[in-house]
Formats: sequence, structure tokens, C-alpha cells
Amino acid sequence: MSEILWAEKYRPKTLDEIINQEEIVSRLKQFVKEKNVPHLLFAGPPGTGKTTAALALAHDLYGERWRENVLELNASDERGITTIRERVKEYARTVALGEIPFKLIILDEADNMTADAQQALRRIMELYTTTARFCLIANYPSKIIEPIQSRCAFFRFRPLDKEHVFERLKYIAGQEGVKVTEEGLEAIWEVSQGDMRRAINTLQAAAALGVVTAENVYKAIGMAKPKEVQEMIALALKGDFMGARDKLRILLINYGLSGIDVIKQVHREIFNPRSTIKLPEDVKVEIADLAGEVEFRIVEGADDEIQLSAFLAKLALIGKRLKSGGRS
Amino acid sequence: MSVRMPWAEKYRPKRVSEILGNKKAALELYQWVKQWSKGIPRKKAALLYGPPGTGKTTAVYAVANELGYEVIEMNASDVRRAEDVERIIARAVNVGSLFGAKGRIILFDEIDGMSGTEDRGGLSEILRVIERTKIPIVMTANNPWDPRFRPLRDVSLLIRFNRVNKNTLTKILQNICAKEGIRADYSALRLIADMSDGDVRSAINDLQAIAEGRRVVTVEDVKALLARRYREYDAFTVLKLLFSSRSAEQAKAVLSQSELDYNDLKEWIHENLPLQYSDPEELAKAYDALAKADVYLGRIIKTQNWGLLSYAIDLMTAGVAMARRHPYHFVKYRFPSRMLLLSRTKESRQIRDRVLERIARKTHISRRGAALEYLPYIRAIFHANPQMGAGIARWLELNEEMIEYIAGDKEVARRVIEYMKPRAEIRTKRRGVQGKLF
Repeated sequence: MSEILWAEKYRPKTLDEIINQEEIVSRLKQFVKEKNVPHLLFAGPPGTGKTTAALALAHDLYGERWRENVLELNASDERGITTIRERVKEYARTVALGEIPFKLIILDEADNMTADAQQALRRIMELYTTTARFCLIANYPSKIIEPIQSRCAFFRFRPLDKEHVFERLKYIAGQEGVKVTEEGLEAIWEVSQGDMRRAINTLQAAAALGVVTAENVYKAIGMAKPKEVQEMIALALKGDFMGARDKLRILLINYGLSGIDVIKQVHREIFNPRSTIKLPEDVKVEIADLAGEVEFRIVEGADDEIQLSAFLAKLALIGKRLKSGGRS
Repeated sequence: MSVRMPWAEKYRPKRVSEILGNKKAALELYQWVKQWSKGIPRKKAALLYGPPGTGKTTAVYAVANELGYEVIEMNASDVRRAEDVERIIARAVNVGSLFGAKGRIILFDEIDGMSGTEDRGGLSEILRVIERTKIPIVMTANNPWDPRFRPLRDVSLLIRFNRVNKNTLTKILQNICAKEGIRADYSALRLIADMSDGDVRSAINDLQAIAEGRRVVTVEDVKALLARRYREYDAFTVLKLLFSSRSAEQAKAVLSQSELDYNDLKEWIHENLPLQYSDPEELAKAYDALAKADVYLGRIIKTQNWGLLSYAIDLMTAGVAMARRHPYHFVKYRFPSRMLLLSRTKESRQIRDRVLERIARKTHISRRGAALEYLPYIRAIFHANPQMGAGIARWLELNEEMIEYIAGDKEVARRVIEYMKPRAEIRTKRRGVQGKLF
């Protein structure tokens, strides 16, 4: 077994290696053949091959020395207008090396760029079209301002099919000399759906335990997710609000999760059939409603710790109601 | 990652002879515990009472230490319902034979912190334990005259702890400065003693806040702390006014009566809501109001529409205050711990960010993405298979402190690090052993 992250090791290097998203791949290959690329916007859920496609395109376009002509930036980490003005602009205005007359700038997680950074980007896209092409990658294309969208060729990536995921997982397992059972694959599918990255990470974590059986998959997932999420919910329902809030602070401050990550994990835990937290079905729906409101408010700009604390206080109230046997 | 040790703990007297304040009281306790070696005394429990920071708990531990007793403690951080009290007694019994054995003292610390609802039955259970006990029971309280404690008072030896006088306090502070190698003006220490109101713990905490990491402490430094303290005092007053308001108007007025701005007030309320409201209905309702106020504040930032501020303030003052269903009761408020937590965990958060940076660079993802999509799996792999973990750690070029952060467990980290050592090194080690043999 090799010892690096498989999701990275088995990331397709060229467009030919990409097994799904056939339509997108064939259009990208056409660009390579013509040695011309428009500005691109790749949109779709996580783990569907957006970044992989962008890197593979760069590889096929520029050959082995592709790195010299590609700037890869992650907008979540460098989302401000300064980065756009300085780094992107500086890179965009200089001439490309080699036979392709333009460079490629990959802006990953572009939907996290601030509005004014997007405005600045739009100008740069216009001014330096001859020397630079952009490939913007986003989970939510609606968060990209309209003028940028209209300047890009739009590609929508879809979650992968089960067969594709299984095929890939079996291939990796074969290469790594790992045994995989059919139930193991089904369990991986259950937690990852069409997200290939999550599927491969789950495969590797389960393989770290031995044969990839359903049992090892669930065990690995149990080890991977912060136990504090489940503990926090249990404490709140039990009525120990302070204890629950302490767990929340661990998740936000020590783990460094965002409030949105936390509420999403809570939501998943509530509906997880294997969770130790057992709730009446109608109460699960009630909590989903509360969780949705929390996420909405945080996205709108509210404080995550306060919103989540208010959520926990409501859970405590629900817990009390359940204990007394009442329903409303 | 070194954790800062509070000086109040570090310099807590370990023996009765080291105690400076309330020495007489400590000696009285010493005599009483000593009687137990000759048989069960008439009073089977001692109730130490007095203001905070006057050495009650310290005396118990010092006496126990000196006479070779082990202290089994139950304090305000434990839930103390009847069954919990029973459980702790049972634990003590299981270790030895409690009702009969010497060598243990049961300490119920801060019994006035026991709440009527959550610690239901706790006090009467303590009373029952005292009736049956064959080992010393010690309780501490700030105010023993609460009618609830009457039955306990009747069966206990009462030992009073007074506020520690300023000369003694100054002396204690001087001793600590000497041990820490700090040169402090006498007048500075005297000022700390003055403002501590006879509370040794708070005086030592103040000293540490001012003096830690410095060589010299002056009166000016102490005055700077005082100024900060004044603002804190202000927040406590505002909270008290707010939570005891009887009308929406009264509640709304509190903000204008103080120096606190609405953002600070939000933090203070957030921290103290669960302390003030123990009824889940009150808590949920008040948090709902605070969370809505927070939504308005977010909208103000986004739209710059400051007209919305008055709604935010209504919700966080009147909204929070009107959630009250039970009569107002005094609680000890505390400083918003979010800020403290952020500064205390700064070091580990920096390590975390460096870890995420490494992962992000190798996997074409943002740091947040790394935290969500990779870190948990790497952690699982570290635990499940240190050898595979070591490969990944090497690939990510992690150092030991980063590995420890990811593993979240020293032993797991150690195993991963062990596998990271080059094979040659392990071989040499073995050869070294053989060399000695021949």
C-alpha cells in the first residue's frame, strides 16, 4: 500500500484519464485541439471533478511544463480585492511561454470571492484577454456576478454515477492491493453519493483498518467525524446547555469548523440511521427546520456561535418536552 | 503547548504551617480532623464558611495532606442531586471501606452553589451521609445562614474564615514575587491588596495578570488594571439591571446607562444567559431574542442601514429580559469566555492553520476545504494505521507538533512519528544494542 492520500495520487492527470463527465471532457479536448480556450466557468457540487478537469486541461494544453503557464489560486483563502489586483493582474499581463499565446489562471472556489474582488476580476478578464484565460470554479455559480458569468463558457458538473464511482474505487483498491467487499462499496456510496473525493478518502480510511467491509467503512467514518457533534446534540437534548455550548466552542475554535459546517453535520447526524441519538420522526423534521434557519442566518452574516447557541437552547427545550412525553 | 498555571494554584499552601491568612481557623480544622484518629468526634461534619478566597478549600487540602488523608471532592462543577451524592459516596466506599476506614475526607465544596432544581435532594442526602459517616465530612459555603442549611449547621462544627487582612495579603503577594523573581513596589502590592477586599485568590490573580512575564511591577501597572476592571464592573451592573427589569422600557434603558456598546453587551449576554436562566423555556426564549438581534446586526453591516439598530437593541435588551418567568435571582456573572478562549488557543490554532495550509497546497483545495474534506480522514488513518499515517505525514511534510495536532492524542502521534523514522536509523539502533552485547 502506498502512503500518500489516494485522492491525490489517483487524480487523473490528463483529460483522457477522466472517466465521467464525457460531454464536458470532449468539449475541453476540442479546445486543446484548437489550441484556444475561452474563459471558463466550472460549476457543480464538491468532488465531481471540476479542479481535476481544470488541471488536466492545463496539462494537455501546455504539456509537461504546464506549471509555468498556470496560476492556481484558491479564492476562499485569497478572496480579497488585493489578491485579484496584485497577483492575478501581475500574472495576467505578462506574456506566456511556449506556443500557446495565453496563460491559464485557475480560480478555485471562486464563489467565495468578495463582490468587489469580482468586479475587479471582471475588468482584468476584459483587459488581458490576449495574454490570459480564466477558469473559474464554483460550487454555486449563482454567487458569481452576472457580468462574469456572461463572459465565460459554462460547464455544469454533475454528481458521479454509482457505476463510475465503484469502477474507480475498485481500480484504486486493485492498485493498492486492498480487498473490498460489495457491501463495503455500498457503504461508501451511502456516505459519499456522487462525491468522488469523499468516496476515495473514505476508501482509504477504511483500508487503513484492513479489508474494506461495510463495518470498517462505518468505523472509519466514526473515527473521522468529530465526536463532539454527536456529544453536543446529546448534551443539549439532555438539558445540559452549558456542556453543549462548550462542545460547540471546541468545534468552532479548536477544530476550526465554520458555523455552517457544524450545522450541516448536526443535520446529517439527526437523520443518520446509525446515530446513537434516537428521536421521533416528526421531531427530526422540526430540528431540520431549525437547522435550516440557522444556516440561512449565518450565510446572511449572523454570528455563528450565537445562532448555534440559540439552536442548542431550542434543542434543550425539545429534549424537555420529549422527556415529559408531550408533543407540542 | 504549555498551559499557563494559575499562581493561585501554584502557590496554594500544601501544609498548615505555610498558611498565612486565617491560620487559626485552619488549626481548628486540623485539631478536629486529628480527633478522628482517636474515634468519632461528636460533630461528624465541619462547615467552613466565609467570603470567597479566604482559604477554606486550601485549609482542607493542607490539613489532609499533613495528616495523610485523601480528599474526595464534589464541587459546584458536579451535578449534586441525591443520586450523585450517593454515587460519590459509593465510589469512596468501593476504594476502601468507607464507613469504617480512616484516610479519606469527603469535601462538599461551595454548597451554597447547589441549586434547588438541578441538585434536587442533594442537601438532604448530604445530611443523611453525615448521620451515618465514619469518616470526616467537610463542607464549605460563602453564606451558611441560608435557611436551607439549618439542618446542616446543627450537626456541623462551624469554622469561620474572615477576609484576610491587608498586611497578611501584601505579605503573601511579596512571597510570590520573590519566588517568581519579580521586583514589585511595596505600594503596588499594597494597592492590589486594598482592592481585593480580603480575597486572596483574586489578589493573586490580579498580581499574575499584571506581573506575569515582567521583571518589575509599579503602581501605574496596577492602576491600569483597575481602569480595565471598572469597565468589567460596569458590565456586571448592566447585566444585573437587565435581568431584573420588570418592564420592556426598563430593560431598554440599561444600555444608555452604561459605557458598554451593543456589541460588547451581546457578548456579555451570550456568555451569561445560561447562568441566569436555568429554566429551558426561559433560556430558549431569551436566546431566540438574542439570535434575532444578532441577525439585525448582521443586516446592518451588510446594508449599512443603521435605522435597524433600534430593533436589534430592543431584542437584545427587552427581548432577553422579558423571557424571564421566574423571579430574578442573583448569579455570579462572568467575563465572556469566547475572547479568552481565542487568545488561549491562539497557539494551537496557528498550528492548525499551518497543517491546513500544507494539506491545501498538496490537494488543490482551500484551507476550509482541507479542514472539512481531508483532515478528518487523515486523523482516522493516523488512529487506524500509523504506518500509512506516517507515509501521509511525510508526504505532507508535517512536523511532530502538526502530527500531534491532527492525531489529537499524544500516544497516536508517537506511533505515527515512530514509523516516520528512516529505516536506517532503526537498524543502527539495533546494531548499537548488539555492539554492547559483544
